[in-house]
Amino acid sequence: MTTIEEAPRLEETTLGPKAGGLYRRQNIFTGLGFGIFLGFVGWLTAHAFLQSSNWGTDMVVTVTMVGWVVGFNVGVGTFNAPIRWLLGHDQSYEDELYAAGVGQGSKRYYKFCTDHKVVGTQYLVLVMVMFAIGGTLAMMMRTQLITSHSSFLSPDSYNAIVSIHGMLMIIATIIMVSGPFANFIMPIMVGAKDMAFPRLNAMSFWVIASALPPMLATFVLGGVDAGWTTYAPLSIQAPAAMDAFSMTMITFVVSVTVSGVNTIVTVLTMRAKGMTLGRLPIFVWGSVVGSALSIYAMPALLLGFTSMVSDRVTGTSFFVAAGGGTGWLWENIFWIFGHPEVYIILIPPVAAMMEVASTFARKPLFGYKITIAGFVAVGMLSIMVWAHHMFTTGWAPDLAGPFMLTTELISIPTGIIFLCLIGTLWKGRIWTRLPMYFVYLFLWNFIIGGVTGIYLSDVPADQYFHGDMFVTAHFHYTLLGGAMIAATAALCYWFPKVTGKMLNERVGKVSFWMIAIGIQATYFGQFWEGFQGMPRRVAYYDPIFLHANQLTSVGAYLLMAGWLVLLYAMIHSVRNGSIAPANPWHSKTLEWMVPTPVPLVNFLVDPVVTSDPYGYGEEGSEGYVSSHSPPARSEDELVPLLSSDYPISGGDR
Amino acid sequence: MIWLVLTVAGGIMGVVAPHHLLTSLLSNDGTDVWKTMVFFTVLAAPVAAFVYSVAIYSLIGWRHRGNQDEPPEDGPPIRGNGFVTGVWLITSTVLVIVLLVWGLSVWSAQQVSHPDTLQVEVTGQQWLWTFKYPGTGVESRELVLPVNRPIEFDVSSVDVTHGFWPAALGVQVDANPNVVTVIRTTPDRVGKFTVRCSQLCGLYHSFMYAPGSVVTSDQFATWLQSQGATSSAADKEAQVSQS
Repeated sequence: MTTIEEAPRLEETTLGPKAGGLYRRQNIFTGLGFGIFLGFVGWLTAHAFLQSSNWGTDMVVTVTMVGWVVGFNVGVGTFNAPIRWLLGHDQSYEDELYAAGVGQGSKRYYKFCTDHKVVGTQYLVLVMVMFAIGGTLAMMMRTQLITSHSSFLSPDSYNAIVSIHGMLMIIATIIMVSGPFANFIMPIMVGAKDMAFPRLNAMSFWVIASALPPMLATFVLGGVDAGWTTYAPLSIQAPAAMDAFSMTMITFVVSVTVSGVNTIVTVLTMRAKGMTLGRLPIFVWGSVVGSALSIYAMPALLLGFTSMVSDRVTGTSFFVAAGGGTGWLWENIFWIFGHPEVYIILIPPVAAMMEVASTFARKPLFGYKITIAGFVAVGMLSIMVWAHHMFTTGWAPDLAGPFMLTTELISIPTGIIFLCLIGTLWKGRIWTRLPMYFVYLFLWNFIIGGVTGIYLSDVPADQYFHGDMFVTAHFHYTLLGGAMIAATAALCYWFPKVTGKMLNERVGKVSFWMIAIGIQATYFGQFWEGFQGMPRRVAYYDPIFLHANQLTSVGAYLLMAGWLVLLYAMIHSVRNGSIAPANPWHSKTLEWMVPTPVPLVNFLVDPVVTSDPYGYGEEGSEGYVSSHSPPARSEDELVPLLSSDYPISGGDR
Repeated sequence: MIWLVLTVAGGIMGVVAPHHLLTSLLSNDGTDVWKTMVFFTVLAAPVAAFVYSVAIYSLIGWRHRGNQDEPPEDGPPIRGNGFVTGVWLITSTVLVIVLLVWGLSVWSAQQVSHPDTLQVEVTGQQWLWTFKYPGTGVESRELVLPVNRPIEFDVSSVDVTHGFWPAALGVQVDANPNVVTVIRTTPDRVGKFTVRCSQLCGLYHSFMYAPGSVVTSDQFATWLQSQGATSSAADKEAQVSQS
């Protein structure tokens, strides 16, 4: 830990350039500029050297995208410290302060900033941008499907939109809680002053930010026409957009892996005194399990997409039947990533929502330890169920039974998590503020999503429903109705801490009802289509499915309008809302014990934890943080820590 | 009380809804799908109803009423209940075993191959289906099946992965290039249906469907004969157009 006393000594002993210079001028715009420049260099190079070869467009697009990603990150400053080290210098203390955003006001949000709270806020904005794009794509699909043979979209643009909506939403939901809240809130929850690796933390954000433009570039490169699962061999034949898509995925893997390692190391090594593993708030456990699953699953995706690029660019044939490969290999690799991914999405928001449930029921969490066991068991089982996505592919019919077993076993730990949630609500003095509304909506939706998942786990029933709209409705109920609603509960809960303002709940409740009703209409319509036998990913359909589709489209418009109202409520509250007190919910976890806005080093005095944070209604429950270590700093030093323009101590090394 | 009402409501929905929502099913496997939906919904109804009724009862019974300020007192410090957890665990385990036994028995019954099976070779290509009846020389864009005779579909593809999905028959398998995948079923009712493609297969995936029908065995024999005459002509035509 860098303390004030050590700081001058650090400054004397380290080498580094003086203030000013190129290093101090980097921000998102230098990133954009250098990314475009290096992308252009890549494009020129590929053209100059590869003209004669038959690799053609795929190579050009791949090299250009590599140039963009590397260039953007060099330009924004991701590699500053490693480059310094290669040149034989270390970061000076002054550099660390600068990198943490000290004295830069709101400009630090546009820079490579190591402060975990800035990174969390950046993630929050990025996730919302992704949801806005993905939601717009969904609206375009629903507009196309409002009549059976609409001419709103051409079939190839429809396929491109289906694919990008899918994968963009998957990426957005993977980072929607592990980005904003595991960065902003989680370190404070465990009593840390920052993440374990602040620079890697900033890197994980800027790397994933640089992955978004290649994904959107697919629309002008011919469109990804193979769905978000990009099954081979269709994806091998796809237009050059597929190369940009693969580059997005590879970049995304880097970001999520780095952030997962960072989360786990932070929890293992940066906890406050007395914060034993058995006293960690449940959200911290959820983040750790989600991160561990990421570290397991992401390499499969990396392997898959590098092989995919290789097949497309260099003529290997891992997935091409004509060259001795097989599409089933791709399907296996993809789902070995793809099923844990569902729980990477789901576990952190559900864990965050259990904090909400405990706080607003004014009760301890029901079954703290079995909840953790539930998360761990779900996580472990989730790596053994991937082939239930392949029941109807014809691959290994003898494995249908075992995979049906593991899939149905997952409902046992999932049931335990449900029990803990309703056990927490039982007899609670339920405080019906907006976050609690979303907890109830989660319960409603996730039961439906879970039960319909059991139908799909049954091989004979799956033979009817696989590849049809029933599946679409099922996973939207779990991922949107479940995970995203849980994340919204968490967002409303932590909104005062993150923004310093209270959320306008009057407008928020209007949006709640629009979202709640919109979800039911949209996905009931899709279940109906699924029962009738409408395949997924079709731009045109048999008129027998018309009424169900019209219901779905109307519901989807209502749902999107609901999200926009919520967005309005948030923006309005950030601008005009009343100032939030440090602990508006009278919650007991550590993030509510620090001032709002949170000082750069989070804690003015190091907390010492004496119990778990769920002591509602218990004698002496005020004593979660019963003793403090003696203040390490004098009054004069503490005062500036309270200002939002952090003058003290930078990267926490 | 809430629980009972919700359970009954869920159970009724489970019995009634699949029948109205599912497409008209023409085979034993289709009927199995319907039975599975009913059975699972009836099993799930009490569990879902329990979760909902606890949540609703908590909201009705112990909600903090009045203004939006913090409740004056906390709830009771219930940190867990071994008995409830145990009952819950045992119930869910038993339910999972029941589901598994049900699923496996239905599944294994489907895997049995019968004598006197009619083979149909199904080939998917962008973006149409072709059905060949080995031994007869018949090749058609329409899937015609005799009622009450076991069918074996040998499914393959000439280009990308397609999904052979005659929904009304309650079976489905992918058509992969260079591989033959097999599914079996026995149509047990006469009627018309549509074969659709269930895997995104490119530009005109939406239009990849073929008409299908289950007919009496007499009608089937007549149809085969009528096709036999035309298909040899069609074969020649196809050869000409390919070259």
